[in-house]
Amino acid sequence: MSEQETRYRSTRDLPSLHLLGTGTPMCAGCGGLEALHQIYDQLGERSLILNAAGCMTLLAVYPYTPFRGSWLYTAMASAPAGAQGARDALDILVAQGRLPPEEDLRVVVLTGDGSAYGMGLSATSGAIERGLDFLYIVYDNEGYANTGQQYSGATPHAALTATSRLGAGFPGEKKDLFAIWVAHRPAYAATVIGAEPLDLARKVEQALAIRGPKLLLALAPCPTGWDFDPQRTVEIGRLAVQTGVWPLKEYRDGQVVHTKVPRERKPVEDYLRTQGRFRHLFEPERQDALIAAWKARVGTYWASVET
Amino acid sequence: MYRIRFHGRGGQGMKTASRILGSALFSTGFEVQDAPRYGAERRGAPIFAYVRASRAPIDERGVIQRPDLVLVADDSLIPVPAAGVLAGIDAHGLLLIRSAEPAERWRERLNAAARVIVLPITEPLLDRAALPQVGATCAGAAARLLGVVPAEALAAGIEAELGGLGARVVERNLAEAMAAYQAMAPLAGAVSEDGEIAATDYHPPDWVDLPFETARVSAPAIHAALTSELVDTGLWRSLRPEIDYDLCKGCWWVCSSLCPDGAIHVENGRPVIDYDHCKGCLVCLAVCPPHAISAHTEAVTPCAESS
Ligand SMILES: Cc1ncc(C[n+]2csc(CCOP(=O)(O)OP(=O)(O)O)c2C)c(N)n1
Ligand code: SF4
Ligand SMILES: [Mg+2]
Repeated sequence: MSEQETRYRSTRDLPSLHLLGTGTPMCAGCGGLEALHQIYDQLGERSLILNAAGCMTLLAVYPYTPFRGSWLYTAMASAPAGAQGARDALDILVAQGRLPPEEDLRVVVLTGDGSAYGMGLSATSGAIERGLDFLYIVYDNEGYANTGQQYSGATPHAALTATSRLGAGFPGEKKDLFAIWVAHRPAYAATVIGAEPLDLARKVEQALAIRGPKLLLALAPCPTGWDFDPQRTVEIGRLAVQTGVWPLKEYRDGQVVHTKVPRERKPVEDYLRTQGRFRHLFEPERQDALIAAWKARVGTYWASVET
Repeated sequence: MYRIRFHGRGGQGMKTASRILGSALFSTGFEVQDAPRYGAERRGAPIFAYVRASRAPIDERGVIQRPDLVLVADDSLIPVPAAGVLAGIDAHGLLLIRSAEPAERWRERLNAAARVIVLPITEPLLDRAALPQVGATCAGAAARLLGVVPAEALAAGIEAELGGLGARVVERNLAEAMAAYQAMAPLAGAVSEDGEIAATDYHPPDWVDLPFETARVSAPAIHAALTSELVDTGLWRSLRPEIDYDLCKGCWWVCSSLCPDGAIHVENGRPVIDYDHCKGCLVCLAVCPPHAISAHTEAVTPCAESS
């Protein structure tokens, strides 16, 4: 987005009033909550959130809620189907004159990566295909965190999780959910991170201005699941961007644009070293092959972007 | 039968403490039960774990009501009613507090019938990476206070519970546990077993009986927003961030946007920390450009400032 088009020209323009309530049961230092509270600053109370089971369904444990508007808990695979139902119901109410158009709600899915990259993928694909007007927020902590960080379709190669504890860690590869969305030609898709609030605010602003299926995919550093001190959430988030591990980009009008390209990428190791889930790459012996594979993966990605 | 309760915060290894002690007692020939007790709360929230051990089969179930030994890993929990640290402890019981303050002070303060002893801590634990080892410390102290667990059984318990995490983790935890085991040598066997509870003496827990009502009455729709703010997540904090306003440059968009909990609001262009809800992650301290935020260990009355 060009600078003229946005309300958020500099960090000073970021919202100083936070709309999401405090007192939630998320862990101290939760990177997912950091991204959500920034998104909610713009989303506000005229929203209906459909929350797929995960850490964030604990946000609204009866009778407590940090939200100003409505919230509904769905099964892990069903949030996009719930969103379709909610959107249809709201449309009918407005069409029948039972809900004034100015009281219409924005339909929002809030989901973890376990649902978004795995269990909920088929329902999501269908919703995009039908052109559903909804915002789809993923907080990607790269595992089934709520149940003790088992690996998911978003877990990166070699990470230790509760179900890849031994040897070289998770043998698989992280899926590219952004590319999966883009292949559907949605109205909008973007990657974000709570550690970069200005980039995030512009993308939320952008997404809220467009009708149709819209993705906000937030990498969510998770002190509990990734094993680091809660104080380092932002440092690790920034490193994910500076090392090129988490490319910040958006898709609109048929184009993918990188919104924050690190001028000189820091070594990938700077990111890996911060987290206990990758400690076995460095201790007791350095695992050169695994580290080289990480570097190659990140390098190949950026080579394809830069050409 | 021995009845032991470990109190601490999520992340301080209380569940591990009960596992280690349970395994050690089991290998010594006891029948054992051990169980952690927590809900949806996460790191930093008060939790407890308990162990029963007997030479005879154990028929008792549920939470321990009348403990022989209570270990408190974090003395800031003692004044927190929800933590229930002192529940059911009487003249027969022994209360061990990990604290920088002397036992005298605690005896005066608590005026408890139970015998109060202190496992001294010399330095406040500012490196939270060492927190999980507090569990091993507590298990080591408990083992010696019971007087029936040989050092080899304690070591075997640590190996059994932590062996999967690698030799270094085992070594560190073993060192902590043995140090506490030695420190408690003068009090070896200070805990005495209590008898079986006859079914006729059984007191049901003080729960509130709710009559069966229709859903509309028993789980009414709540239309109030932001009710999560009634939850004092400030009680989870063991380290408190404080802003030095002489150093603060008023760049609130940094700390206020990046605080995961949205617990830093902006008043007259200055960031203000909401201590009722700040969980003490210390992200603000890590990101503050002029380093105007410092960390302080919570005093024993962590909530006093909120009133
Ligand atoms: C079909 C189904 N399987 C398993 C569960 C148990 N469960 C609840 S939350 C959760 C983890 C979800 O992971 P993710 O979507 O990544 O969210 P996170 O917990 O990381 O926030 C699981 C497996 C469930 N609710 N539904
Ligand atoms: S487990 Fe991770 S994602 Fe879940 S609440 Fe804790 S920090 Fe957040
Ligand atoms: Mg997840």
